[in-house]
Amino acid sequence: MSDFNIRKEIEKVKEELNSCIDFAYRYYKKNGQEVGLIFLKSIIDQTLLSSAIYYPLQTFQNEFTIDNLKTSIIKCADVKDIEKKDIIKEILDGKVIILTNFSLQILSVDLYKFPTRTPSEPPTSPVIQGPREGFVEDLQTNITLLRRRLKSPNMILEVVRVGSQTQTKICISYIKGIANDKVIKEIKNKLKNIKTDGIVDSYMILSFLEDKPNSLFKQIGNQEKPDVVVAKMLEGRVALIVDNSPIVLTIPFVFIEDLQNSNDYYTNHHYSSLVRVIRLLGLLIAIIAPGFYLSMQIYHYNILPLNFLVTIANTTQGLPFTPFLEILFIFLLFQILYEVSLRLPSYLGLATSIVGALILGDTGVKAGLISPPGVIIVALSKIALYTIPEEASQITVLQLVFLFLGGSLGIIGITCGAIYIINYLNSIDSFGTPYLAPYGPKISSDLKDGLFTEPIQKMKNRPKSFSPKNKERV
Amino acid sequence: MKQTINIRQCGIILIMCIFANKLLLMPSLLYTNVKADGIFVTAILFLIELAIIPLIFLLKKHFPKQSLYEILKSRTGVIFTKLIYMLLLIFFLFKIILVFSITYVYFKQQIYKDEIIWIALISILPVINHSVANGIRPLARTMEIFFALVLIGFLACLGFSLFTNIELPHMFLSDIQSFFGAMYKHLFSFGDMIFLFLILDKIEIKEGEEKKVYHYAILGFILIIMLYFLYYGKYQVTSFMHNNALADILVFSVQFNAIGRLDIIAMITILFITIFQLEIFSYGFSDCFLHIFPKLNNIYSIIVFDITFLILYYFFLGKYEIMINLTSTWLTVLAVIINVIFPLILFVIYLVKRSKNEETD
Repeated sequence: MSDFNIRKEIEKVKEELNSCIDFAYRYYKKNGQEVGLIFLKSIIDQTLLSSAIYYPLQTFQNEFTIDNLKTSIIKCADVKDIEKKDIIKEILDGKVIILTNFSLQILSVDLYKFPTRTPSEPPTSPVIQGPREGFVEDLQTNITLLRRRLKSPNMILEVVRVGSQTQTKICISYIKGIANDKVIKEIKNKLKNIKTDGIVDSYMILSFLEDKPNSLFKQIGNQEKPDVVVAKMLEGRVALIVDNSPIVLTIPFVFIEDLQNSNDYYTNHHYSSLVRVIRLLGLLIAIIAPGFYLSMQIYHYNILPLNFLVTIANTTQGLPFTPFLEILFIFLLFQILYEVSLRLPSYLGLATSIVGALILGDTGVKAGLISPPGVIIVALSKIALYTIPEEASQITVLQLVFLFLGGSLGIIGITCGAIYIINYLNSIDSFGTPYLAPYGPKISSDLKDGLFTEPIQKMKNRPKSFSPKNKERV
Repeated sequence: MKQTINIRQCGIILIMCIFANKLLLMPSLLYTNVKADGIFVTAILFLIELAIIPLIFLLKKHFPKQSLYEILKSRTGVIFTKLIYMLLLIFFLFKIILVFSITYVYFKQQIYKDEIIWIALISILPVINHSVANGIRPLARTMEIFFALVLIGFLACLGFSLFTNIELPHMFLSDIQSFFGAMYKHLFSFGDMIFLFLILDKIEIKEGEEKKVYHYAILGFILIIMLYFLYYGKYQVTSFMHNNALADILVFSVQFNAIGRLDIIAMITILFITIFQLEIFSYGFSDCFLHIFPKLNNIYSIIVFDITFLILYYFFLGKYEIMINLTSTWLTVLAVIINVIFPLILFVIYLVKRSKNEETD
């Protein structure tokens, strides 16, 4: 018999957990032998607790020993010895702690159970062909989704905890022998140096990992689909799965990724190439169209074809606003409608669209407040924005910047703005990978999966941009 | 960490240097001096300039990983090196003013039809300052990304110009004296490849890649000669009147106007080329400044550049006629030093090093 006072220990744990309402314990005594269970009932599987621990304990006839408990009494696979200092951490992780008065060993049984969603198609990444599963908020489920697709002993899963209060688990996942060691080391260092009280979503660690956290442009990829993450890991990238977040981060990230979609790999590569070009055009139209239209209208009207010029002149005649204010007004109107439609319940969304698009737009034109070409240009630019939904927020800011540049400085302003932004993007390195690779710098071998794609069987090598250890896909 | 560029990026920088200052006013200026023989003046000056490329490769081979400053300092001493860098700094500063003046006239006459100096300055200065602050690698990568656009734009301008009547330009009309006189007079408008000496240690060359640079140089040369040929062929005796060659070869085309006013092609192409040239020369200015004043950082070089540029441009050289006059008088002397004497000095340094190496062997 050890001198371990179970009741005293339970009280101590209860005190440390501030007597929270979900704190629970059970206590068994038989022939002078005592067994105590401590857990948080909100995060464990209570049915399993009854069948795998309570019932066997009550019905066990012989003398308890710690080996008995581990091997035959507790009907759970995940039973381990822990140290006393880890009791609180284990309880908060959904474990049941078993204390006894006949051994100093402390057992931890994993009975963790949270209410989780079933994997379903992510709302922002729907596909026509290909897998529809998406990540959920549970780390274990997300790991399962990856493991199911990547049956390799080289798949490494390392967990670190971040956040002094939330103790959020972040799983660093990569394929040993493919991912670049320097990148892995840098990620681990950066995660280790995160000083914050809590991480509640993967987006919250972005600024800690990015080299330019104030940048408008994201430098780390975010994915909702396990098939995409596995494909990226096979290219030599590292995935960060953050507990409680359905978004998995992938590192390094290059800008071209936003033009790519998982659907591209499940359809004909000619069509995929076409779609990617259209996405790029959409991106350019979204950013430049309003500013370019303004610059043409204000400074360079002599460049416009005569028929088009006459149409614009007729429709803008008598407007109370200057061209710049007119476009800005329509732009803000669209942006307000967008924000409203995002936050309104779906049953009100339709009504808002009707009020916004039909009544405000149509009446605005009829009342002579705005011109039809202005509405068309802004609408076109706003629709084009969603050819790359991942970049919608950044593009909206750029739309406004180019609107000001075009309106105030004309074509010089727009060209200078474009060069400035590309130069800025070229100064970004995402964990050693040039942000605009494979175009700046041009990496010929990586162009196979660039704007134009080639069939999968021709992509024999992993992208050089990410400096993978193993360059060949064999 | 030292920023490096690859051979392709080096070639693209080279093309931008070849284009520098030759696309707008230069053909008409040359026509004033030597009529359509301006084509030959350009070709000969280009071939002289081309000699810089093998010299760069030889220096890189014999002084691996050493910068121009280190090479010069170790062979000629600090004072002489700083003097050379001071001359290079002045050279690049006036290059910037020249390119800006000529392009500004184009902006004013063809695009804005109004005095727009502040628009041009507000737009362009932050972009070139930002580019200098970021360094040579983002600059080279940016040019690499836009290179296809620039090339297509350039070729489109040349292609659309074929829709008008073009006759063979009347050549061999100038005498030998005016021919060489024109070469001397416009020497400052050439020699832009000198910039490559400044980034000598930043160019990464793998074995057998040297020829790529020659390909880019020849491409640039062919495009320039084609432009001059089409320009003189189109405007013949009125060539001296048209100041914006690349844009002007597009106009007066029936077929061209039927598509719509596509001046935008020339406009955007010229804008991109101009900004890249200004960025290159501005980087050259900054690099020289930082070697002359090693204790100061990039920010100081940018501030000094902005102030000097604004003062010189706004108060002294605002009218491009003054700048053109300056380039054919005082700046020609500077051009002789930088374009001819300076490469010769480097060639001598190379010969000395080679003979020393042979002795060691």
